Amino acid sequence: MYRTIVRAACASALALCLVASPMAHDAALHANPAAGNGSPHTASGILSAINNDGPKTADHLRIGIWNTAANITTYTIGNSWNDWVLYLALDKLLEPSPYMSQGRSWLATEVVQVSEDARVWEAEIRQGVKWHDGTEMTAEDVVFTYNLYLNGPANRWTHHVSDVPRIEQIELISPTRVRFTAPRPMPNFDLVTAPELPIMQKKQWEGVEDPRTLTEPVIGTGPYKLVDYKADEYYHFVAHEDFWGGAPTVKELTLVMIKDPQTIFAALKSGEIDAAARALPPEMVDQWRNDPAIEIAQAPSLWGTWMQMNLNDPVFNNRDLRYALSVAVDADELVERVMLGRAQSGKHGWPHLDSTWTKPGLEVGYDTELAMTGLDTLGFRDTDGDGFRDLPDGTPFDWRIVVSTNQPLYVRAAEVMVEQFAQIGIRTHVEAVDQATFNSLTTDGNYEFSISEITPHGLADQDQYMQFYSGAQMKKLLETEPERLALYNQWWEADSRDARQDAHFALQEYELNYPSRFMLWYPDGLFAYRWQSYDNYVSSFGYGIFHKYSFLPEAGRIGTSESIDQLIEE
Amino acid sequence: MYYLRTTFQYALTLLIALAANFFLPRLAPGDPINALLGADVVENMSAEQIAQVAMELGINDPLPIQFWHYLIGIFTGDFGNSIKLGMPVWDALIQKLPWTLLLMGFALVISTLIGTVLGVLSAWKRGEFADIATMGTVLFIGSLPPFWLAMMLIILFSTTLGWLPSFGAYQIGTSFPSWDWFVGVGKRMLMPVAGLAIVQTTSVLLIARSSMQMALDQDYIMFARAKGVSEGAIFFKHAFRNALLPLYTHTMMGLGALIGGSLIIETVFSYPGLGGLIVQGVNSRDYPLLQGLFVITTISIIAANFITDLLYPLIDPRTRRAR
Repeated sequence: MYRTIVRAACASALALCLVASPMAHDAALHANPAAGNGSPHTASGILSAINNDGPKTADHLRIGIWNTAANITTYTIGNSWNDWVLYLALDKLLEPSPYMSQGRSWLATEVVQVSEDARVWEAEIRQGVKWHDGTEMTAEDVVFTYNLYLNGPANRWTHHVSDVPRIEQIELISPTRVRFTAPRPMPNFDLVTAPELPIMQKKQWEGVEDPRTLTEPVIGTGPYKLVDYKADEYYHFVAHEDFWGGAPTVKELTLVMIKDPQTIFAALKSGEIDAAARALPPEMVDQWRNDPAIEIAQAPSLWGTWMQMNLNDPVFNNRDLRYALSVAVDADELVERVMLGRAQSGKHGWPHLDSTWTKPGLEVGYDTELAMTGLDTLGFRDTDGDGFRDLPDGTPFDWRIVVSTNQPLYVRAAEVMVEQFAQIGIRTHVEAVDQATFNSLTTDGNYEFSISEITPHGLADQDQYMQFYSGAQMKKLLETEPERLALYNQWWEADSRDARQDAHFALQEYELNYPSRFMLWYPDGLFAYRWQSYDNYVSSFGYGIFHKYSFLPEAGRIGTSESIDQLIEE
Repeated sequence: MYYLRTTFQYALTLLIALAANFFLPRLAPGDPINALLGADVVENMSAEQIAQVAMELGINDPLPIQFWHYLIGIFTGDFGNSIKLGMPVWDALIQKLPWTLLLMGFALVISTLIGTVLGVLSAWKRGEFADIATMGTVLFIGSLPPFWLAMMLIILFSTTLGWLPSFGAYQIGTSFPSWDWFVGVGKRMLMPVAGLAIVQTTSVLLIARSSMQMALDQDYIMFARAKGVSEGAIFFKHAFRNALLPLYTHTMMGLGALIGGSLIIETVFSYPGLGGLIVQGVNSRDYPLLQGLFVITTISIIAANFITDLLYPLIDPRTRRAR
């Protein structure tokens, strides 16, 4: 109860801050980038029995990663598991990420809105910034990069320029200033686009015919220079001597690939690596919390687990059915049974509870009676007496919940969901398939339900939410739900950040009532490292503790992170 | 005539296998775009955007065209670029091949030696305690799931005792041919080789025991004993030599399969061999990578079969007469 009150208070405070904060897009905003997230629901801190005090600098750290970062370019990293590896080498105009309430000046000293309707923005490019090859970064590099994202091959970043928002023109208006023009308002340009897109070196990329096949080490302006790598084996970085933000706190970083989840934590335990950049399974927290060599940190990672419905299936293109099913999902039970309590309940819906643009106070109530009444009203009744409901035309059904076999937690969650749906008379079963087949089934619309993770890129970024409507399934909802379409259009037409936020809050409320997906939980970001090797990690929204800011001097961390140097009492 | 017919049969087999290598990955659900861009991104791309990426990756050409490019690639040694790794497939194969050969080669030699020795001794002592104990122990160990066995090795030798490194093939930061590099390679080989050898020894042992047993049951063994030939001579000269043929076949097949690596052991130990690469290729439906991997695996297995067939008459003159 106490926790609920505290959370409600935090949420209210956050709402007040959001409403009261001036939305002026001036240079001062970027010059003093204090984090504006309010109090997150997922606390940052140490979960170990003792908060040790280890070294704040290191000569060489070995960090285990589990997913290949390929050749460390935006064209071969297709996920949000390893984008932090890319950001060790590459910087963005503003930092740290689109997941904060404001960006901090980085490669741009300012990003300002110059037209009242938020269609035109300008960025003043920082001078004196050096690429890893010693040459100077210029505004031309920025123009080149944004144009490549706009017109070049698609990758995980490009839709922030080519779709939401769609930028029409990127031009150099002075040797140090770049102008961005869009046909529609883009009031979140400095909140999402500028802190999202890494800047690439024109000299390295302009002659590359197929950007997906560049194999030479990427040249960036970031605090770490990639000197050697074998994709799928290791990545060796050394501190960038000329980094404009000061000397990094760790001189060398070697990221080693350890794909197997048991092996990566065994390697950490045996001291072969100094940290494991992989979420610690909840059951290991109690095992390791008294380990004298290892420290466990918790940090808001903004990840989530959701249950999707196949909206291509006409059955689910019925908002009342989706609502009835949503109130039958007991997200609290999933947190306790599957995540052993180490997550926040997904009942708050989409976006992430700790996202800076989440409307406070929204919550879907668990109510099986309401669900059953809704299903009765819609005609889903048990006509053949087998204990399960049938379709309104009397056809029996047994919906599939598809999960990937490489996610044991989701298989467990799917089994719990089968039980929960059975309570309201809905028959479902679990189908566990390999990851590639899972991806194929879900993108081809060959399923009824699926359970998967959703990264901060999709769960804590306002523009990405609208990007979802580019997909076939969500488009269908716009076609059949005029209210949703009106709110969607309202968002697009909003030419100020306040108006965007209002429109988005309205959309969130609508989404909670007529969900397109069911949020199940938001995991606590749990991470483990050997404190005697290095004990200077900080938390950054969306990234946990593994990101470049954990290796930057104090000045580089301002506004990007919060300290984890406190014990969390359980 | 025999050699001509055999050559033709193997050429036909190779052609069919190459076609299967091309079509099978494409028949499986999934495509590489998901792995490249992320499923959450692809799911929200328009059909036009997805088609554009497919075109860039060359996977929306008609299948016959793709197949033609694939065949040309095989004959020119150009397998294209790995979609997921962003590097030429050939480079990835060359990078990983030595590690797989090292790992699988040692495991094959060790398992063949131990399995053969234990198998023939077991047959020699058939029905006695030594036979029953050997069979029971080896069958028990051999039935352990390889991933579980690998994890137990890691927990014992890395986490608990701290004697051996748990992942990789060499100490990162050392370079060939320094002493540290060799020590690192040796230490990192021990557990994966042990895991593989333990699993493979069982099959070798069963083959060796069974073929030795069959040889020992032959009339000529009884005749030799009746003649008063020493037990040593019967064992080595009459029984063991005749029991060698199935072992030879098994070993040659093992040589052919070396290239494929071990999917499970390489994954658990993060060993940078071709087995781990196959897992990666399958998970990301990286068609060029899978094609390259399957082509060299197919060729090596067919070549091993071919050589085995050709050498049979030299090993066993009876097969020469039969032909």
